[in-house]
Amino acid sequence: MLKIENLKAGVDGVEILKGINLSVNSGEVHAIMGPNGSGKSTLSSVIAGDETFEVSSGSVLFDDEDLLDLDPDQRAHKGVFLSFQYPVEIPGISVSNFIKAAITEKRKVLGLDPMPAKDLLGKMREKMDLLNMKPGYLSRNMNEGFSGGEKKRNEIFQMAMLEPKLAILDETDSGLDIDALKVVANGVNKLKKSNNATIVITHYQRLLDYIVPDYVHVLHNGRIIKSGGKELAHKLEEKGYDWITKLADEKWGS
Amino acid sequence: MGLLEKIEQYTNRGTDKVSNKTAYSKFIDLGFPSVKNEEWKYTSLKKIISNNFEIENQGEEITDQEIKNNSLDLDNKVVFLNGELYQKPTISGVKIEKNIDLSPKYNDAITALNAALAKNGYNITVSENTIVDKPLEILFLTKNKSENLAQYRNEIIVKKNSSIKIIEQVKNLNNNLCFSNMFTNINLEEKAIIEFNKLQNNNESQIIVDNTNINQETGSNSTFNTLLFGGLFTRNNLNFSQNGERCESNMNGVVILDNSEFADNHTYMDHLKANCESNELYKGIYLGKSKGVFNGKIMVRPDAQKINAFQANNNLLLSDDSSINSKPQLEIYADDVKCSHGCTIGQLDEDAIFYMNTRGISKEDAKAILTYAFASDALNKISIPYLYDVAKDLISKKLNVDLSF
Repeated sequence: MLKIENLKAGVDGVEILKGINLSVNSGEVHAIMGPNGSGKSTLSSVIAGDETFEVSSGSVLFDDEDLLDLDPDQRAHKGVFLSFQYPVEIPGISVSNFIKAAITEKRKVLGLDPMPAKDLLGKMREKMDLLNMKPGYLSRNMNEGFSGGEKKRNEIFQMAMLEPKLAILDETDSGLDIDALKVVANGVNKLKKSNNATIVITHYQRLLDYIVPDYVHVLHNGRIIKSGGKELAHKLEEKGYDWITKLADEKWGS
Repeated sequence: MGLLEKIEQYTNRGTDKVSNKTAYSKFIDLGFPSVKNEEWKYTSLKKIISNNFEIENQGEEITDQEIKNNSLDLDNKVVFLNGELYQKPTISGVKIEKNIDLSPKYNDAITALNAALAKNGYNITVSENTIVDKPLEILFLTKNKSENLAQYRNEIIVKKNSSIKIIEQVKNLNNNLCFSNMFTNINLEEKAIIEFNKLQNNNESQIIVDNTNINQETGSNSTFNTLLFGGLFTRNNLNFSQNGERCESNMNGVVILDNSEFADNHTYMDHLKANCESNELYKGIYLGKSKGVFNGKIMVRPDAQKINAFQANNNLLLSDDSSINSKPQLEIYADDVKCSHGCTIGQLDEDAIFYMNTRGISKEDAKAILTYAFASDALNKISIPYLYDVAKDLISKKLNVDLSF
């Protein structure tokens, strides 16, 4: 589904991603772990299409089409979704209107009429239940005055509504207490299907206790320096990152 | 020939032309304000008054279909066509007449000109204890054979414990420049309520200078919504005077201009008595080469203790060539008051645009939605659902986007 080859990207001439290679297939959950500043958020931003970052080489093939040729909204229409580490507040637009606008645009691109209001509302209710969200939430302004946990829940709610093929969860666990974490993780797990895939980007092992990955990759200094199964995450939790980053630094320089 | 010469030529034609000689002398003394006048510093009339406006009306026929197309087509309509009262509704408890009482009120050259020469307008009186359910639509339509000056002088009196909602439009229907000089005096008696909506969605042949004075007695409540979506040149003066305690005055404005349109919203809030409140929120969105001016003055007199006065003017400049001059002014002579004012000028939030992009919303639509969202808190003050929908629709058209939510 997703095939990243030799992806190099940076900002203001400073290279942050120094040649990323990654393959993700349908039905898989991948975790990307790494210390602060390793390039985790840059990777997710580049996949989503943030123009702040300049891509200097490589490709990001999604169903055999290079995402780098597409605008962020076109990527979304293809089925890419990014759950933001820091979701943006949008005063003046309610959650329900925001989601309606997003779904209507996607359907328009696919040549479909807008979803009937009743169906849309029904779907929203169903997904809200999944994430233990309070009824008044739909009429609140998008992320405005939301707590950290509410913002993250709102990200997963949007994901549930938009039903992406590939969801990238960027530090979704940050700002969540343990109960909220369980609810969010449970939501993500329930949305998992054989025809979609998830990339979980996280600093800590904690989230991976609830969203169990098939593969774990360690990102350091702009490169994936180690890949393995879910046991790799436990090892990192136990031993920290030093033991592998040292080896990598010896190989590529720090 | 410029407007001043045209006016002099007109008044020289006969003694019956001037209805108020004192006002006329005042106008001649002062002349049209120039940019040297502090209140007109950013608003130049120079080009406007150099046009060859006719003072006497040479109206062309306006059909019922045109009235329908240019109105909201509400049940209750007061319609003026080319200076004459054409239609008025019958509403229980409300007296609507052609304004014959040309009160001598004027505060500057423009209002003096209006007092001196205006021959028409309405007088609306809402009897005591009358709640007018349906909003009243007031239309001033002009279609003239040449460039022309149109002046109206209006009065609204809302008696004790009564309330009314009004939607007013001043519209020029053809391409001949029309300079509408409007004056409206509103008296709110004890506990009276008014919601006055000015819908200014005009083409680029319409020039408006509007002066509205609102005099409030004890416990009265006024809300003014200015929805300014177009017009060559618009100058709105809203002057509130709270003459009794426990009054509330609300002003909300949404301004969206494009091309070379110009608009100046001048407000003056005079707090004379204690325990009153005023809220002012103006949102400006400027595209193309449009220019805006906001000038909001709050005066708190020595007797006006324990008042709450709030003012905000937020602006979005969506093009490199658009501009806004915003000037909040506070003058406070009482010591136990709560006053705040703020003014912002900015662009759309790029992070928010990207966020919306990643949800599949195109850049253009994201910008339009954010722009609409920017205006929404002022827009939400409109209490007439139909007008709210009309405004939203006009904004979508102006921003060239579908805001169908």
